[in-house]
Amino acid sequence: MTPELTPFDHRPDAALGAALRRALAPGDQAAFVARVLARLEEARGTTWHGVLARWARAGVAAAALIALVAGYLVGRTPRASALTVAEALIAPPAQAPVVEVVLASVIGSER
Amino acid sequence: MASEAQPPGGAPRIEHGDEAALVARARAGDRAAFGVLVERYAAPARRVARAVLDDPDDADDAAQDALLAALVKLHQYDPRRPFGPWLMRIVSNAATDRRRRRSVRRAEPLDPNATAGGPRPDVQTERRALGERLREALAELPERRRVAVVLFDVEGYSHAEIAEILGVAEGTVRSEVFHARRRLRVLLADWKEEDA
Repeated sequence: MTPELTPFDHRPDAALGAALRRALAPGDQAAFVARVLARLEEARGTTWHGVLARWARAGVAAAALIALVAGYLVGRTPRASALTVAEALIAPPAQAPVVEVVLASVIGSER
Repeated sequence: MASEAQPPGGAPRIEHGDEAALVARARAGDRAAFGVLVERYAAPARRVARAVLDDPDDADDAAQDALLAALVKLHQYDPRRPFGPWLMRIVSNAATDRRRRRSVRRAEPLDPNATAGGPRPDVQTERRALGERLREALAELPERRRVAVVLFDVEGYSHAEIAEILGVAEGTVRSEVFHARRRLRVLLADWKEEDA
């Protein structure tokens, strides 16, 4: 039986509620829940920190690889012939000094 | 207030303490707790979205958007208040936004057996036809009116809670529910008479 219709009726109408419930019945509940949770996981993966985290992992791996290759190459390369200051001082001159220059410096220091 | 309305055989209301604990866990990043909330509120969220949007797929998309938006906004939720009305407000807004974005609303094809002619339909078909007519009648109502009646008669929320969900005065909700019921009850009564 339909209850009296008044704006002050605070009780839900069971018959109307049941009919509306059937009319608005959603489809497969489990599939919908699974879809929402899958979307959540997907969205979590595309947040800025998620993207950065993925890039960070790749970046660390790439940096480690580059460091290894660089270390290997440096180890294989023969040392350059650049002399230290001490070596330069004690090393024999490549060519004999010019006689005039030597004499001039000796005479200059005796004056 | 919150206990004012409880539809017989309607949506079971969730204990607030249990719900608050779940929300707190979800807010702390517990995905399983959020999953439980989604399971509990999926059906009401989809029905409320369906009250706004004709198309069931659109309604599901809106309900999904709303549930995910709720997770993002969980820090704004006041745990001293019931979770349902807070979530339903997000659902209702998401559905309204989606409806506004839709320039053309797609119509659901009518079941040919449910319209005139043909053999007398069976109970299943009769129910489908009544559902179709109710949805059509709902679609003719102003949006706030149909959401109000669904929240009240189907989901069992009180006038005060619906006022909070829709952001209107409680008196406005009473009026909206009254007018919606008047229209829908006529339809239901006609249907019963036809059926008798």
